Amino acid sequence: MAAVATRAERDVEVLAGTPNLMPAFARSVLPRPHSGPPTIPTREAVIRNYSQDPARLAAYNRLTGFTLRDAVPPTWLHVLTFPLHIHLLSDKESSIKLLGAVHVSNSMTLHRPVSVSERLNLGVHLDALRPHRKGALVDLIGTIRVADEVVWEGISTYLAQGVTVPVEAQPTDREPFEPATPQALWSLPLDLGRQYRAVSGDPNPIHTSRLAARAFGFPRPIIHGMWTYARALASFDGRLPGAYATRVAFTKPILLPTTVGLITHRTDAGYRAVVTDRRGSAPHLAMSVDTPQLDQ
Amino acid sequence: MSPEAVIVGGNRIPFTKAGGRYAQASNHDMLTAALDGLVARYGLAGERVGEVAGGAVLKHSRDFNLTREAVLSSALSPLTPACDVQQACGTSLETTVYIANKIRLGQIPSGIASGVDSASDAPIAVSEPLRRILLKANAAKTVQQRIAAFSKIRPQHLAPAAPSVKEPRTGLSMGQHQARTTESWGITREAQDELAATSHANLAAAWDGGFFDDLVTPYLGVTKDTILRPDTSVEKLGALKPAFGGPEGTMTAGNSTALSDGAAAVLLASREWAEEHHLPMLAKVVDAEVAAVDHPSGADLLLAPVAATGRILERNGLTVGDFDLVEIHEAFASTVLATLAAWESEEYCTGLGLSGAIGTLDRSKLNVNGSSLAVGHPFAATGARIVASLAKMLHQRGPGSRGLISVCAAGGLGVVAILEAV
Repeated sequence: MAAVATRAERDVEVLAGTPNLMPAFARSVLPRPHSGPPTIPTREAVIRNYSQDPARLAAYNRLTGFTLRDAVPPTWLHVLTFPLHIHLLSDKESSIKLLGAVHVSNSMTLHRPVSVSERLNLGVHLDALRPHRKGALVDLIGTIRVADEVVWEGISTYLAQGVTVPVEAQPTDREPFEPATPQALWSLPLDLGRQYRAVSGDPNPIHTSRLAARAFGFPRPIIHGMWTYARALASFDGRLPGAYATRVAFTKPILLPTTVGLITHRTDAGYRAVVTDRRGSAPHLAMSVDTPQLDQ
Repeated sequence: MSPEAVIVGGNRIPFTKAGGRYAQASNHDMLTAALDGLVARYGLAGERVGEVAGGAVLKHSRDFNLTREAVLSSALSPLTPACDVQQACGTSLETTVYIANKIRLGQIPSGIASGVDSASDAPIAVSEPLRRILLKANAAKTVQQRIAAFSKIRPQHLAPAAPSVKEPRTGLSMGQHQARTTESWGITREAQDELAATSHANLAAAWDGGFFDDLVTPYLGVTKDTILRPDTSVEKLGALKPAFGGPEGTMTAGNSTALSDGAAAVLLASREWAEEHHLPMLAKVVDAEVAAVDHPSGADLLLAPVAATGRILERNGLTVGDFDLVEIHEAFASTVLATLAAWESEEYCTGLGLSGAIGTLDRSKLNVNGSSLAVGHPFAATGARIVASLAKMLHQRGPGSRGLISVCAAGGLGVVAILEAV
């Protein structure tokens, strides 16, 4: 079902459709005995001519707080590439496994509004395996094209704990956090992970099962970072322009059920939002939107 | 002299049949889409508009501030105030009147009148007995009281209550009411099917001629009204079975409006504001009138606009012949036909307290670019659809052209308005 063709310098594996996530997920969490320096697959995994499901988009938007528009949120486009993340991380060439890997940051660029009616060419490849004080970082780089036009790019950075890359770790910058009274409080129910699984397809049980969460050191299920990111981005819904860049750093997982706070600011470049505990004293994630064409 | 309220333009999303392409879209989503299309068309991004008035007939309780929430999701300035108005199918003609009146009083320089309805995403309520039990349990102070409240729940209470278009006081659906009117006014099946076929033909021609190019913004991949059947005919409509009025009934799914989803918005402004913003001025809102009939006592439910029309004409010293275009909302083909018959009836009009019959309409002036039978009828969106379309048609005919809008509504209500091209 997979054909290998060459595009630019990178091999391309064209998938006939969205891979079945459960078996791929199972493979992607299984640790494999591995000796020598860590490796990552070098090819790009691609799904061509992908048709978006408006009903699933509507469910995604309802859950994340976006208004259902012709133009889709960039976080939705990330969700569409996610099966390719799992596909590549389940590859035998990958020493980075989803199990124990932590999504630490994400950045996306929406080059132009993308309509729900557009057919998309989805591609993901891994790159930039690099050391971190707790293990190794790797980027999953997604590119979405309409025909040959790049309309969206996303970089998901995962931290693989216990993987050692034989280069000295670089300190990572983190923006300072000022405690403040949250402008909004969100009440997150216990089954939010289950609800987000239904629209995102992310089968990781640490979001839905107490048992699985405990196995990874969390007393309760944690909500997907990409839900929280999307919900924070949706708080700027009507003010987001047609093209912008946005990034997020995930600081601390959110255990379900809980109430969290939202603090937003205007910045010179656009907007910044921090999702905090309910008192606004500690951050869970910090995100920003950068746009040269800010309204008003 | 008080300021004039001029219609700058309008925007709507294509209307669709309920359960169709907008099945997953909420009133909030569709109203935001209609507003954002208007914002894009008239360069209002980040602009603080005087006020946005909107509403929906089928409304979730969580949407208590539907219009304000849509404004916050739109590209308008978040400092734009908004309010919800609801007057059944007259809603967005009433929001137009509300915004126009505020402009004419000098209270706001600009405003947006809007309306939306989703028959797909309609609210489902719990049954009335269950609702009362839940309220009691919620108010209970002890566990025993709560258990006692819940112990009253019976299986039949669990059936959800879907919204119905039944009149609360008569228990009759709108179609059943109109079937009585159709029969008592002697409206024939042929006349109804002919009016329906004309509506489709007119709307199809308007789409083909590009009339809606600056009135409609595509939404969720829909670029054109989906209820429109350009190839329908009196023969095809004549083959349909009666939907109301029993086996001998003359009202069918073809000459009655379909349950629909959609949203529409109209930008109104003072002349000064429109000039400052270099925006077009299509027509001014001259006057408006609302009327009601005593349908619980047997009056024709959907003929309330007749009294409103008679009163507004008398107040403005106008006759039917003074209008270049007339828009009568096609709730049912027979509603339009019964309305026209009532206009001609000396007896009916004087019974309403008018000085005489309203008069006979030259049918070539009626709904010339199609109406609700072909476009669809998302209840609260219809008024704004008509206002925007009529303002554009009048403007095309030149300054001074006059138009009348007549919209019937549940509850025995009727809203009419006069527009005049500027």
